[in-house]
Amino acid sequence: MTRWSPTRAILTIALSLAAWLIVAVACTLVGSSGVIGWPTEQFIAIARRERVLLASLVGAALASAGVVYQAILRNPLADPYLLGASTGASLSAYLWQCSFTTTLLASATAQVLSQQTAAFVGACVSVAIVLVLASSRGRLEPITLLLVGVIVNAVNASVFLLVNSLSREMPGSGGPLAFLVGGINPNLTPQQFRAAAALVAAALVAMLYLSGQLNVAALGESESQSLGVHIQRLRWVALIIGSLVTAAAVSVSGPIGFIGLVCPHLGRLIVGGDTRRLLPVATAIGAALLCLADAATRLLAAQPSVGTALPVGVLTSMLGGPFFLLLLWRNRRRINLGGG
Amino acid sequence: MDAILRVNGLGFAYDAAEVLRDVGLELRGGELLALLGPNGSGKSTLIRALLGMLRTRGTIVWLGRDLRRWRRRELARQVAYLPQSPAWEPQQTVGDVLKLGRAPYWGPFGIESEDDLRIVREVADLLELGKLLQRRLDEISGGQRQRVFLGRALAQRPRAMLLDEPGTFLDLRHQVYVLRLLRELVTEQGIAVLMASHDLTLSAAFADRVLVLHEGRVVAAGPAAQVLEPGLLQQVYGVPMHVLHRPGGPPIVVPDVS
Repeated sequence: MTRWSPTRAILTIALSLAAWLIVAVACTLVGSSGVIGWPTEQFIAIARRERVLLASLVGAALASAGVVYQAILRNPLADPYLLGASTGASLSAYLWQCSFTTTLLASATAQVLSQQTAAFVGACVSVAIVLVLASSRGRLEPITLLLVGVIVNAVNASVFLLVNSLSREMPGSGGPLAFLVGGINPNLTPQQFRAAAALVAAALVAMLYLSGQLNVAALGESESQSLGVHIQRLRWVALIIGSLVTAAAVSVSGPIGFIGLVCPHLGRLIVGGDTRRLLPVATAIGAALLCLADAATRLLAAQPSVGTALPVGVLTSMLGGPFFLLLLWRNRRRINLGGG
Repeated sequence: MDAILRVNGLGFAYDAAEVLRDVGLELRGGELLALLGPNGSGKSTLIRALLGMLRTRGTIVWLGRDLRRWRRRELARQVAYLPQSPAWEPQQTVGDVLKLGRAPYWGPFGIESEDDLRIVREVADLLELGKLLQRRLDEISGGQRQRVFLGRALAQRPRAMLLDEPGTFLDLRHQVYVLRLLRELVTEQGIAVLMASHDLTLSAAFADRVLVLHEGRVVAAGPAAQVLEPGLLQQVYGVPMHVLHRPGGPPIVVPDVS
């Protein structure tokens, strides 16, 4: 039995960072022409580094949000999109590109804001609607949240389809598809990247701060209260932080599936279920995994049979789904699906 | 000894249904108080109310301070709670669960002190769980698991423990083991224990006093030998009961099934 001391916490974070760094450096060696090696041109090196950092940021955000959602909702199948962040972002980004919306808003506003900002706002609004509809006298119940989340996701998706069928004049590149299947978007401005990175970093610190309480929250309402945790307040705080992080990720990459669901489980297989250990480890796994998946799309793009850059979201969903099922199958005893 | 808990005029209703009506009680340090009553009499609700989990009428005073003025974390260092069916994850180890009992003392980022680990080890030794610390919860017996949950509550180093049917899922031998242990803690460490129970005979054997709840009201309170009498028990439980008194021993309560 070991003590969760400051040294151990720092060591866990440092080892997680080191593991991610090794993968990230390896991924910068992978070029979109299929050549593996250190880039000779500086601008290529910068472009690859930015891509790897962006993939890491999105992966870390989704995985950490997954850990928080699974702990606070006491549901091992919870993922960061459960409360409507992804469909809210998609719908908002889509509406942003509709000509009637841009006409509606003053052109000055349109210049200041971007599609990413619209997606972030859409994700936040969607999650806020879920939280408000699911709360009763300030209390949030996990089951109600899940149900309302499913319904709001469905409504967002149907409005998306409705707008799509009414307006067929959507721009092509970076258009609606980018917000249906996520990808690493290398066209972000440095400001957009920095804003997302600052938000994710601040949220990670807050999550680590709360990780002890999140550990207790997994016990359920009455027991966590008797162990000194203000469970209703923690639910609000944790879900808002998790949702902001998800909104930040989804606004720069679109919805990338399975990272937020699978990484917490991979982390549990390595360090167990203690949220204090799990959070840094799963976050690093998320960052590394999305780097690897993005590098894989670059390698695939160089194959003549593929010939085009797949959005990384296609790859994570195609591989993530079966992989998750395999994980469940092989570890039926170790991964508890009962939620308590 | 001074009262650790004083309750006066406690009332609670789920919508229109009154579950607790004008409940009053006192719990002193070094006392084991058994809370008796049939299903639906309000035992579990009373325990949850005492922990501040429900919006109630009346006053609840822990250690001289009104419940509303306690911060949750502070109260958790004084009062521990063991529910009827504690939540657990199969992959958790015995050590993980015991350590959770120290959560009210953790620092920011969930940092544990040397004291936390020492106290967990002491509790493990006290409950003979020392050799099981690395074992997963799904690898130990139901009786051992109940001891682990009791250990989690003890790791809080509480002055009072509220236990909701701690004998649930235990065979008779383990029920007696748990009650003996509680009795020792009460006598030797001066902890106050309020324990909801369905077992009248075991409660009579181990508790200093019993308190009988019926339809949310306290209908009797006092030493078991005085309180447990056939008329009251038939009125509360709805079945005829025999109460067998033995010289120098606690009463034995059996339902009349003839």
